[in-house]
Amino acid sequence: MPLPNNKAVKKFLDLIQPWRGLAMLFLSLWLCMLLMPLRLPGLAIGDIAPNWLLIWLVSFSLSRPVLVAIIMGMAIGLVHDALTIPQELTASVPSHVWGMMLISGLTALLQKQRYLQEDFISVALIVFGMTVLAETAIAMQWSFLSFTGKYNLGQIWTQQQRIALVSALLSGLWAPVLHFPLTRLRIPQLDNRP
Amino acid sequence: MYFWGIEVRLTVWREGVDVLEGVRRWWDRYAGQLLVALVALILAIAFRYANGVLWMELYQFVSRPWQSQYNPSLVVEEAKVRELRYRIQELEMQNNQLRQMLSLPSTLSTQATWAQIIGRSADAWWQQVIISKGSSHGITTGAIATGAGGLVGRITETSPHSSRVLLISDPSSSVGVVVSRSRALGILRGQSQGTGVLEFLDRDPDAKVGDIIATSSFSTLYPEGLPVGRIRSINLNHQPAPEALVDFSAPIPALEFVKVYAPPQ
Repeated sequence: MPLPNNKAVKKFLDLIQPWRGLAMLFLSLWLCMLLMPLRLPGLAIGDIAPNWLLIWLVSFSLSRPVLVAIIMGMAIGLVHDALTIPQELTASVPSHVWGMMLISGLTALLQKQRYLQEDFISVALIVFGMTVLAETAIAMQWSFLSFTGKYNLGQIWTQQQRIALVSALLSGLWAPVLHFPLTRLRIPQLDNRP
Repeated sequence: MYFWGIEVRLTVWREGVDVLEGVRRWWDRYAGQLLVALVALILAIAFRYANGVLWMELYQFVSRPWQSQYNPSLVVEEAKVRELRYRIQELEMQNNQLRQMLSLPSTLSTQATWAQIIGRSADAWWQQVIISKGSSHGITTGAIATGAGGLVGRITETSPHSSRVLLISDPSSSVGVVVSRSRALGILRGQSQGTGVLEFLDRDPDAKVGDIIATSSFSTLYPEGLPVGRIRSINLNHQPAPEALVDFSAPIPALEFVKVYAPPQ
């Protein structure tokens, strides 16, 4: 990363160097969380916005060991639950944890076997596919709940088509915007790419 | 055979060492990342337990420059709207007086706060909004949110300066409602869009297209008599109970402000 040629800035960056990567990881995650409730014109279609948390997770999971990716997937799933599920309904509605664990594990596996290179198109494609998977995981949980009679199975799957397609499209399109800054700000100690 | 036994055992031992070696190498390489992920998991559990209150507070704070206070003079005031409002006020007064004479509890508390909608749901499966006022403004969980047009939802989560509203258009929200004209009872569920499905409790309900729907006195979550919507179509042959499609009277996707009342007693 090119830095401004300024002594004070350099000194400050040296001081925070060991923590810079971690801080960026944490801050970027918070930025994604704050983007979630926004519906900016041009960024949302039909009240559906890109799934920034999922993009962040895919970006994290690429080139990481599967176990680490799955644990982070679990963490992000819990975070997404906290953002959406009303306290009083916690026990009786789908959780994001399963879908997030699945997609983070799959993403880590994908990269390991070098099926895909890391470039604009493949990141967008991975995010597209993973969003569809994550939304389908949610829809399947709703389907199980529909046996209680409260939810309508047909309605769930029409919803799934709409949400999965629009969300995957938007997330895929916006994925490079988040992914490339994140990869430029890698943690030196934790980075094991050549 | 004996040699075979030793041979086999030796191989197993050697493979065991190889596996251990592999685990150690993995550990040397990824211990840092594993630690980061585990710490993240612990933080996420704490965050989940608090149900995102910290996030709501920060979001409210960050979006403050774009927030504005509700200004009643901004509401378009045509003469006809004003006239209707006066008449409703008069009727409500009369109604309250009659209720007092019958010693019935009043339906909606007179104390209400206006709050701006600052965010929408963080997931397309949920129909929620985030508003700019919270527990420090006296809003509690279970409070009722109404907007121009009628009922909007109820508060499910509060942080000091913001709250989350579960809209009536959410599939997991159910409202006990009544057909104003015939007093036929039913339960209204959201469909994630501008319409809801009203499931009648009666097998042969007296309802017509165009009938007005309001919250019923049997609802425990909502006060009685709030306008909710209008019947668009009816399917009396639907199993297990007759159904009607209801247009919500509040233009939920277009709302910018909601009025929050204390939860019903």
